[in-house]
Amino acid sequence: MSNEYMGYFAIFFSAIFTQNVLLTYYLGMCPFLGASREVKTAAGLGTAVTLVMTCTTVLNYIVYKYLIVPYDLEYLRFIVFIIVIAAFVQVAEIVIERLSEKLYNALGIFLPLITVNCAILGVSLFMVIREYTLGLSFFYGLGSGLGWMLAILAMAGIRQKMTKSRVPGPLAGTGIALIIAGIMAIAFMGFSGVIKG
Amino acid sequence: MADKGIIKWQKPMQKVLYALTPAVLASVYFFGWRSLAVLAAANLAAYASEYCFARYYKDQVTSAVFVSATLFALSLPPNIPFSMAVIGIIFGIVFGKMVFGGFGKNVFNPAIAGRAFIYINFSTEMTGRWFEPFRDKLGGLSSYTTDAVCGATPMQVLKSGGEVSLLDLLVGNTAGCFGETCAALLIIGGLYLFFTKTANYRLTLSCVLAAAGLQAALYYGGVQGALPPLHALLSGGFVLAAIFMVTDPVSAPKSDISRWIYGALIGVLTVVIRTFSIWAEGAMFAILLGNMFAPLIDYAVNEIKSKKKKAA
Repeated sequence: MSNEYMGYFAIFFSAIFTQNVLLTYYLGMCPFLGASREVKTAAGLGTAVTLVMTCTTVLNYIVYKYLIVPYDLEYLRFIVFIIVIAAFVQVAEIVIERLSEKLYNALGIFLPLITVNCAILGVSLFMVIREYTLGLSFFYGLGSGLGWMLAILAMAGIRQKMTKSRVPGPLAGTGIALIIAGIMAIAFMGFSGVIKG
Repeated sequence: MADKGIIKWQKPMQKVLYALTPAVLASVYFFGWRSLAVLAAANLAAYASEYCFARYYKDQVTSAVFVSATLFALSLPPNIPFSMAVIGIIFGIVFGKMVFGGFGKNVFNPAIAGRAFIYINFSTEMTGRWFEPFRDKLGGLSSYTTDAVCGATPMQVLKSGGEVSLLDLLVGNTAGCFGETCAALLIIGGLYLFFTKTANYRLTLSCVLAAAGLQAALYYGGVQGALPPLHALLSGGFVLAAIFMVTDPVSAPKSDISRWIYGALIGVLTVVIRTFSIWAEGAMFAILLGNMFAPLIDYAVNEIKSKKKKAA
């Protein structure tokens, strides 16, 4: 039993630190660069990504195991995963609007945009390649979402601090953001080997 | 520009340079004159790369660049090829500092950014080859470089179960990077900085306390690979990092509460990375990670403060 729990624990933390979906695989870069100018927006987007990532990874696991594999439809898994993600986002939007106006407003435009966030699809595909179980998929999705959120929050913090700095013209905006992301990735390399998951 | 001089001298940065002088002398004493040559090469390369950007900004080269280059050089292993030292410091100054707009605007500590860059790219040279320091009376003053190869730094010896005396760690006649081995002289330099109020003691204190606490917990908790706390704190680059790099006023957060959090975060991460990761040294990565989250810590502390004010 304890071994099993350790597995969940290891997957969860390695998804946040050692195998951060953004800073080690560079997935989900567009919203990372586009929506990281302010901490508030970054927090909203990060929450939405975490929510969607956790749920879609679990949903995709179920779809993959009970629908795709039994009918030999592996070649369709990209399309099926995307459909699941898009459908989930649509439903989630309606449900959140009903249940909590506040959360809906906070997430705003980001919820629909997440459909095309490649980190979400990436996490689902990693889940298949690494042959996780249902429980592991849940913790992997949650950890990856939180890891993504951590990275975009740090980036937003840095960029908000930098509003007064004079970045050379050609590098302003995306250029400097990519340089920061690169140094952040170097820093995250420090975690390599911390968790064997 | 000429009337203002080529270099803009800043009082605090000059004091840091004074504080580093004993460590530089110790590196010559233990590892030979070559350490001075590496130091000079790093400083020249750093000055040149900052100068290119300073011309673009129509600004002066700040004296902070020499602090970065000296700290960077002191954190290199002896017998590092000159090319790597130069590449590292150029990366650090250009991508760690100048692209952000120069002194005072950088997010990451340039010395650390440069060191991390070559640490990852040339890991054999940075971690695999260590040399015995000179142990006779004249030390390295009579020769250019050390050639007595030895297998491991004190930290690696300790990790594999060997013994290193605390006195050796304090005096510094152990294998290791140029300026990292002599803890006593670094601490003296640090005390000078704290008494002249050049460096903020909160940063170092919280960093050391957090690292000592976690290290003690891991060691007495019987975790495999954990070092005895006092040895761990005095070995490797921790002393240099905690005194001179954590306290970099530009990349550290600005309010007192966030300084405590920032220092503690770096202390904890250093121990975690040292004990569990594939890297032997954690202080460098820990500081980069700390730099990365410093603005966020500042932001969070400010938000909480302003919320409390609203409530009150």
